[in-house]
Amino acid sequence: MRQRVLTTLMVLAAVLVAVLAATMPISGQAPAGKTKKSAYTPPKLPWGDPDLQGLWPGTDLIEVPLQRDPKAGERTEVTPEEFAQRQAKAERTAENDRVAYVAKDSKVGINPPGYWLEHGKPQKITSLVVDPPNGRIPELTEQAKQKAAQAKQAKQGHGTNETWEDQSLYDRCISRGVMGSILPVIYNNGTQIVQGPGYVAIRYEMIHETKIIPLDGRPHEGSNIKSYMGDSRGHWEGNTLVIETTNFLGDKNGIGLNGGGTPHSADMVLTEKWTRTGPDMMEYTATINDPKTWVRPWTIRMPLRLNPEFPLYEYACHEGNYAMFNMLKGARAEEKAAEEAAKAGKK
Amino acid sequence: MRKILTLLSTAAAAVVCITLTLTPGKAQAPAVPAKAVAKAPANGRRMSDGKPNLNGVWEYIGTANWDIQDHSAAPGPFWQLGAIGAIPAGQGVVEGNEIPYKPAALEQKKKNKANWPAEDPEAKCYMPGIPRATYMPFPFQIIQSNKDILMAYEYASANRLINMGKPIEAGSDTWMGTSNGHWDGDTLVVDVTGLNGLSWFDRAGNFASDKLHVVERYTRRSSDVMDYEATIEDPSVFTRAWKISLPLYKRADKNAQILEFKCVEFAEELLYGKYKKQPASK
Repeated sequence: MRQRVLTTLMVLAAVLVAVLAATMPISGQAPAGKTKKSAYTPPKLPWGDPDLQGLWPGTDLIEVPLQRDPKAGERTEVTPEEFAQRQAKAERTAENDRVAYVAKDSKVGINPPGYWLEHGKPQKITSLVVDPPNGRIPELTEQAKQKAAQAKQAKQGHGTNETWEDQSLYDRCISRGVMGSILPVIYNNGTQIVQGPGYVAIRYEMIHETKIIPLDGRPHEGSNIKSYMGDSRGHWEGNTLVIETTNFLGDKNGIGLNGGGTPHSADMVLTEKWTRTGPDMMEYTATINDPKTWVRPWTIRMPLRLNPEFPLYEYACHEGNYAMFNMLKGARAEEKAAEEAAKAGKK
Repeated sequence: MRKILTLLSTAAAAVVCITLTLTPGKAQAPAVPAKAVAKAPANGRRMSDGKPNLNGVWEYIGTANWDIQDHSAAPGPFWQLGAIGAIPAGQGVVEGNEIPYKPAALEQKKKNKANWPAEDPEAKCYMPGIPRATYMPFPFQIIQSNKDILMAYEYASANRLINMGKPIEAGSDTWMGTSNGHWDGDTLVVDVTGLNGLSWFDRAGNFASDKLHVVERYTRRSSDVMDYEATIEDPSVFTRAWKISLPLYKRADKNAQILEFKCVEFAEELLYGKYKKQPASK
């Protein structure tokens, strides 16, 4: 269900960009993956570290596509006309939500109604991927292509709800991985930083994750300890927090929304950078380096806005996963009905 | 739906305890530094604002998660695990060892125990609630900032932020509750409300309802030991308030950190096994 809604959103966003694509001069941006020198000096914590604390939800960016529409080429920002279109669309969405919410005969379908979802603010950026310069996820390696083909093959002739393992790690409420936890999605985009002496902790709302990052220069965990969220180590480069994460479980989560997309390998090295660029703005970049999966490293960039009023809820995903019971029960009921219909037909 | 038992989570949980090594405390940290120095040591006894520094990876050593009351050693439910699966004896952590259940609640407790482990929220990988999260056989880490205090538990990635500012009212009920903290001298007092009452206190089926109110007290006794107390109130289940108290030990391993224990995968067969596709009947 969530996937379908997401797909729809992505398609809409892609179509919008495609339709409006026009040539525009490339606006000046810092080279991808490099730490942008920020003129802003963040406040310091009593123990000397820059203060990055607070709620930095990605909600504003919900409608920005992860990958750029190919027609936009290396253009990192939309044209003024395209931006006006995005604004108009946002207004239409808000109006539709308002109307749907008050309408007495609102139809409840299989997906939640539009007003149930969160919406972003019109953005100028054309994509979240900023490197390669075309804003597209690099090509898969031969090895990764083969793996993907094998995975597809393995699903042939297999129903969609034979076991819980037919659902995604997201729908099973296991984990969306680090990137799946921060890329903006339809709701519950809370990301919160809490700092203590020697540590930075990042809380991700949906599913509920806490990543604790030691800053004392200790080595990574032994290579036999793997996890969905990986093992993070951090250090400061000026006022930028640099987090290197390794020891991932391979062939599980991808780098897409909610951990979708092509799964990364266990050898991925993820480098995230958090830089405050103003009293309420953070520049976040993440460079994905996984030579077993993609032919070159790639970088995602997101401007995150501080929102002290953002309500971060306890997201008891697994505890409330009634959908899993329902999907499996429904599939068994359908099978039983089909079996009985077949028996009746024989008589 | 919850009748099929997997050995996995029980085995994992059973193996954990007793591996902690305590090193003698390095008596550190002068009292309150006159001026907030640039780099307060991460393991200093006080924060630069003079408050006790509770930062660290903490863990309880004992058998409270088996049963918060006194209990003898007993066989476990899975003979296949042999002595590994047996329940160790333990001295309770309830003051006076009596939990003042109302009669109907006591019956429910007995039912819970009879339905262990299938009905234990721990077996299902559900968030453990407060106070159980504190004394599970898994470490938890306190990240104490200059504002709020984060507690991140290894089990099920459970976590909660303790609001140290103006107290907030609990919204909807949750597994981990709504936590408001304040300092009473050198003791961190955390008032927890908004608990949904679906968690248990232990594997013996001790429980409360959504009227549960927990007041926790964290007092650092030495560099390596912190006293933990929790006052339990729930007028719909208990005839009076009661208290548990136990020591928490600081993990002294050089590389101590919370690892990932995402137990959903270990509980899926238990929860959903009944509904997976069975071989077609002929």
